[in-house]
Amino acid sequence: MGKIKNISGCVAVAHGVRLADVDVICSYPIRPYTGIMSELARMVADGELDAEFVHGEGEHAQLSVVYGASAAGARVFTGSSGVGVTYAFEVYSPISGEMLPVQMAIADRTLDPPGDFGSEHTDAECCRDQGWIQGWASTPQEALDNTLIFYRVGEDPRVLLPQYSCMDGYFVSHILGPVDIPEPEQVKEFLPPYKNHHVLDPRKPQIIGPQIEPAMGPPLQYQRYQVLQNVFEVLEEACEDFARIFGRRYDPYMEEYYTHDAEVVIFGQGAHMETAKAVVRRLRNHGEKVGAVRLRTFRPFPTAQVRERLSRFKAVGVLDNSTNFGISGGGGVLLSEVRTALYDLGEKVKTVGFVAGLGGEVVTHDEFFRMFEKLKEIMKTGKVEKTAFWLPFEL
Amino acid sequence: MSSHELFVEPNLKQITVWSRGVIMNKDARDVVVALTEAAAIEGKYVQAFENYVDLPDRINVPVRAYARISSDPIESRYVYENESPDIVVVLEETLVKGVPVLKGIKPGATLVVNTRRSIDDILKFLGDTGNLGQIATVDASNMAQAVITLSGSEGATDATGIGAGIAAPIAGAVARVTGIVDVENLAKVVKNQAAMRRGYEEVKCRTLEVKYTAQKSQTSARELLKQMPFAGTVPSPQEENEGMVTGNWRMKRPVLNAEACTQCWTCWIYCPDSCIKKGEDGPLFNLKYCKGCGLCAAVCPTGAISQVPELDFDD
Repeated sequence: MGKIKNISGCVAVAHGVRLADVDVICSYPIRPYTGIMSELARMVADGELDAEFVHGEGEHAQLSVVYGASAAGARVFTGSSGVGVTYAFEVYSPISGEMLPVQMAIADRTLDPPGDFGSEHTDAECCRDQGWIQGWASTPQEALDNTLIFYRVGEDPRVLLPQYSCMDGYFVSHILGPVDIPEPEQVKEFLPPYKNHHVLDPRKPQIIGPQIEPAMGPPLQYQRYQVLQNVFEVLEEACEDFARIFGRRYDPYMEEYYTHDAEVVIFGQGAHMETAKAVVRRLRNHGEKVGAVRLRTFRPFPTAQVRERLSRFKAVGVLDNSTNFGISGGGGVLLSEVRTALYDLGEKVKTVGFVAGLGGEVVTHDEFFRMFEKLKEIMKTGKVEKTAFWLPFEL
Repeated sequence: MSSHELFVEPNLKQITVWSRGVIMNKDARDVVVALTEAAAIEGKYVQAFENYVDLPDRINVPVRAYARISSDPIESRYVYENESPDIVVVLEETLVKGVPVLKGIKPGATLVVNTRRSIDDILKFLGDTGNLGQIATVDASNMAQAVITLSGSEGATDATGIGAGIAAPIAGAVARVTGIVDVENLAKVVKNQAAMRRGYEEVKCRTLEVKYTAQKSQTSARELLKQMPFAGTVPSPQEENEGMVTGNWRMKRPVLNAEACTQCWTCWIYCPDSCIKKGEDGPLFNLKYCKGCGLCAAVCPTGAISQVPELDFDD
């Protein structure tokens, strides 16, 4: 057990990065993730962390700097929010394509318009198909722990992929909560030093990311697809080791809450699922068989695990805190992926989508209450007359 | 069962601290952090956070910091604001004028104001106190100095420690008049313990008759949808921006000595908010927007503009 402190998600992530003993950090400010970088800058200035702290001229530069530094053998860290995440978009695919285990923290922010700093998962979810590992934390403690778990999984020789460690802006990034900060010795045991597999070295010149013939495309892309599948095994080992060393056990894929005899559940990821859990507790006091399932790993999407776990319920409501305009089903990407995962079960499990908390608005207790009411109605009638509801306008 | 009754948290105490951007932002944060850390020592569930929508990097702008303390796990953790505070703290006295510091308070709530003025003086500016059950004043600015730092803003760690400035006597005063935490536990977390104990000892308090007031409900999202302009586009303000009235940022009001004014209009050139109009006898100040930055007084070559504390005026 380390020292328990009341800190924000931003500071928690900075401690994770410090404990991971990174070599190169590249920053550029944008709310709400900025607190991570100001904290890391302080740690470097105060001698708590020995790292190169580079201030980029924008997010594209941030990702380019850590791309190069990672290729040179450094353990690297960067981060952003909202339009900063999308401005850097070009560099994401090269980093995963070169199999460089860069870690980027994303504290979610709505994409413009509106010029709003409220949280929405849209920014990070935009990058979901770039070959990076991705998952959401719902508390400052989990944000710190995910930082360490993601480095460990991403740097494993069976994987070698970059990681987006995501948390909801403000809700997780700014609200203080109790965090058990691990001891460096524990982290050393959990996270071995990063060993680069093609270090840039002037004595052994090599070209990283050369122009290729189309014929090289299929094998290259298939290679990236395959290593992403290896994440599951490595992640399971990492969570097991994490529990042994730090005493905190995370399910690699999803946290289940009051699901043992639940008939209907709400499935989602990130901070709002903590509110969902509070609503579940209250409804349980009134004898309602409701539960919550919080996804922890979004990429690679744990299709088989989601199918197996959700097959126990009669109706599943999928919460999307993002705008995926024009998507199949009319909800968000989580709904779309859950429905795909459950397709082979036929009519057994009913699914319905809820889009809520846009622009950084709170998903209220009452909204979750209405979602559960809708799920109970679907369970009773056996009919899904509409695949997704936008709250609060449609429900 | 109605969902409203379902989600009541009877043991939750909400503390809202009003302050001003940059100059006292750190002290606002310190008040909530000190009180919650002391409460945590007492085994309570706590939460300390700042309002995300306020603009804390603007000097003098009204800002809020929040604390939640409960004997039960806090289920409203991710609700943005303290919608019905039990305790309201005003760190800078001018905030009682033109800022709705009592909005949404629970019946019997306590207000603690940092001021050397009398309770009657403060009540005059508050108007209808509605649900307020207790008002207290403490001259915290005379017991400690505000700590001006951006360290700890935006969720980062505060490298300067907790409760070295006016937060200490304020937290002491809050502990005394509300009993929300034990003063000895507060002493374990604040840096300036002497000032904290002075605040605890010297706070003045008065009980008020509670005039039960129903809370106004907010505009619903459905209503906002009806009002939403095409693509969110709004007309650009030409003269005054009703969406950004900044007069309540002001702690000191510019006052003109017309006899000393030579009408050189240096103030008119320098006013960063274009709040000065040319009048017959010299500058006219638009107090709806004047932030009280004092630039006009600073640049006036004849010393014709002075800055007078806002609470010296009734209007």
